[in-house]
Amino acid sequence: MTPPAHRGRPAQDVTDTFEKAGTLTTNRFPGAERIGAPVHVSGPDAPWHRVRESMDRYGNAVVHTTWGEWLTTAVADPALRPLLGRDWQRYRRTGDPTLRYRFVASRLATKFTAAAALRVDPVEIDLAYKIGGRPYLRGLDQIDVSLTHTDDLIAVGISREGRIGVDAEPVDRRMSYDLLQSHVLTPAERIELEALGEAERPAEMLRLWTLKEAYTKALGQGLRLGFTEFGFGVGSGELLAPDGRPAAHGEWAFVTRRVLGRYLLSVASHDAGLGSARDTAAATMLDEGFMGAVTELLD
Amino acid sequence: MRELTAAAMTTIAEITQRPAGGKGGQEADALARAARLEALLGDPYDPANPHGLRALFAADARREPPAVTEALLTEEGLGAEFVPVAHGGRLTRADLLARVLRPVFRRDVALGFGYGIISLFATGAVWAAGSARQRQDVADLLLTGRRATILHHELAHANAILRDEFTARTAPGGYRLSGRKDVIINARRADLQVAYVRTDAARGPRSHSVLLLDPAGQRPEHAHHLPRVRTPGMRGALFSGLEFTDCPVPGDALVGAAGEGVSLALRTFQVNRSLICGVVTASAGTVLHSAVRAASEGRSGPLAKRWHKPLAGVFADLLACDAMATVVLRALSLLPAGAHLFAAAVKYVVPELLREDLEELATVLGARGYDHESPEYGALDKLARDLPVAGLGHAGSASCQAVLVPQLRGLAERSWFAEDEPPPELFRSGAELPDLDYRVLGIAGGGDFMAASLVGCATRLAASRGVGGHIAALAALAEAFVTELRALQERCRSLPTPGTALTDPAVAVLSDRYSRVVGAAAILGIWEGQDGGAPFLADPAWAVLALSRLGERLGIPVPDLPEGCQEQVVDELVRRYRDGRSCDLDAVAYAL
Repeated sequence: MTPPAHRGRPAQDVTDTFEKAGTLTTNRFPGAERIGAPVHVSGPDAPWHRVRESMDRYGNAVVHTTWGEWLTTAVADPALRPLLGRDWQRYRRTGDPTLRYRFVASRLATKFTAAAALRVDPVEIDLAYKIGGRPYLRGLDQIDVSLTHTDDLIAVGISREGRIGVDAEPVDRRMSYDLLQSHVLTPAERIELEALGEAERPAEMLRLWTLKEAYTKALGQGLRLGFTEFGFGVGSGELLAPDGRPAAHGEWAFVTRRVLGRYLLSVASHDAGLGSARDTAAATMLDEGFMGAVTELLD
Repeated sequence: MRELTAAAMTTIAEITQRPAGGKGGQEADALARAARLEALLGDPYDPANPHGLRALFAADARREPPAVTEALLTEEGLGAEFVPVAHGGRLTRADLLARVLRPVFRRDVALGFGYGIISLFATGAVWAAGSARQRQDVADLLLTGRRATILHHELAHANAILRDEFTARTAPGGYRLSGRKDVIINARRADLQVAYVRTDAARGPRSHSVLLLDPAGQRPEHAHHLPRVRTPGMRGALFSGLEFTDCPVPGDALVGAAGEGVSLALRTFQVNRSLICGVVTASAGTVLHSAVRAASEGRSGPLAKRWHKPLAGVFADLLACDAMATVVLRALSLLPAGAHLFAAAVKYVVPELLREDLEELATVLGARGYDHESPEYGALDKLARDLPVAGLGHAGSASCQAVLVPQLRGLAERSWFAEDEPPPELFRSGAELPDLDYRVLGIAGGGDFMAASLVGCATRLAASRGVGGHIAALAALAEAFVTELRALQERCRSLPTPGTALTDPAVAVLSDRYSRVVGAAAILGIWEGQDGGAPFLADPAWAVLALSRLGERLGIPVPDLPEGCQEQVVDELVRRYRDGRSCDLDAVAYAL
């Protein structure tokens, strides 16, 4: 989701502010070490083993790519229709070529990323949507998935421990602190941001915006959950109620990282605490004993 | 406090004297027991109530079982609810058991599990295949307020609760048990351990057996208790580990035959799965109440328009979940040979649906959802943590898919569009049903009465397609699900025969689609089975909304919601909130 832009200000100023504020890598947040570093993938042949490595190590993986890297597949692959599955109609209906290729690239990136963890052919995945639009992998709930795109960037997050949400924005996206702070920030966040220099505030607000997007997308709700209803500790990265009290019990991890030099990518990752199996392969999910006992009686 | 107790006693007296009304005797008795429990537990929102939500949330935060409320349940002899009437208990039917337990689950899922329901999950194997002696011993145990726990065997893609298992080798006089398992509920305080143990190294359906273990007879060199495990969900439940080293187990501890463990798990899990769905739906009702409270707080007029969609949608989902759970719980009595199929489908659908509903309600609750200690608003946070533990996440749903997948081809070839509809009593509240008998529950085959019911209902509705309004929308939705069943049939006919490798992810996808289609059949069946006593349920509006949402998740084309449909559901929800009634099919009165 693109935040409302403030058009009265040159983009470059904000980028400079960001660099000065030094807020681009926020690994200092507690919990950030629980989220895998973004893996760059360049189309269908990308190094998918890195996704599996991240899943093994963190229980989640975040990939980023640009839609141009999927253009060959989008244009030439005869398997595009089965690859898109139920999204084929939407693809066909999209007239604008840029939107069309971005759409197809984002779906392909999602399917290939999930397929790497499930160890299946991407064509076998049925990418479906919940009420409110959250994508999910039908019948294969060992993996939760989230997708975001902005300009030419596409990012996908997958997790086996619980919900995951990703959101990206160009670092030079213009956001007017004065116009938007009352719509985006909680009272506690405003107090923290107002302690920063005036020049740093818009950049910090943009970062908070991506975190809020990532969190509400993890919940499958997006903007339906008001952004002033919850917040983050600007220094701590902790999920907070609007008055600054802790809002969670450590089950959430958040991180914002800079990718391709020009995008902020925020990730919200929930751990439901079940200690899920490391094995997320589709081929091993159906219990042999149960299937065997049922099959035996059907013969 | 004295007033509170006096008020509760008056209510209890009134309830006990209430005439049976139109419901069958067993049903009336069960509803009266539920009402009595509700009254004893008292007003959940009263901060001074020792069994209220404030006290329960506080115990959860301290990671302790709520001692005072557990004592109350013991005093009430809740354990008798898990013992069949033939053995001196109060268990007649699974659907009635769910109703009796709801007052507990409405307040605290972890209490419902940790105090009680786990005893039934554990002892199901004994009711299914135990000897007369075993049955009587277990009955005596539960009737005297003691507990049983279950030591699961390891299932595919096991999470912490299902991971690892025990192994028993035959030895003179019985078995020797070894192995370690870290996350077992009530491991330390259970008076009986029902263990699903590996007795055959070979893989396959006869690899495991069920043994009854007596903790009192275990010597320290053979049985070692491991430390408590802190779980993020059900924080107050007591999870800990057990390690056995060559622990002697007498031969008469075996339940049923050697090698019968997997099939006993399948037989009893269908009851457990169905019950879980029936009771956690009630837990979600508490969160829905808190969301309506949040949306109406400080307003004298109607609810803000923007909350209509999430509130009506979640209410329709809860009614749908209750419809699915109620139908399968009744099927366990009425159609025991074939209920296993629908039990797996319902358990596959319901926990995830409820999880999404909680997330949707988070938008309505907003910042109030972070008031964790507040009885008015704390239920969201607690249930969002407890629900995955109750539903067991992916491992739980995959174990349901393992039951469904091998049957899909046969159903497509022989059952769908071919079988007769189930008896109408399946859907009719108040109808007399046989008692639940674990011994006659099937674990495979037995046809597909829900698919037949869907087709039958859609056929009867077809005549209403042209008349417009809610009923026409309902007819169109029923037809859309039938079309999906036809597409599934086409696809499932070309699956490999059972017994050959079913590891293609396409089968997992098909089991998902199938589960939602038969879920729709329960909504239609419950709507059609109304006798007019509940005008809101007899009107199609709730079913239209519930089926639209189910269809949207399924990705089938659904017609636009007819005018007034959502408003009608919201109006009923607000009425129930104001009257203090539950957000399920029963609309039972809360203790307020």
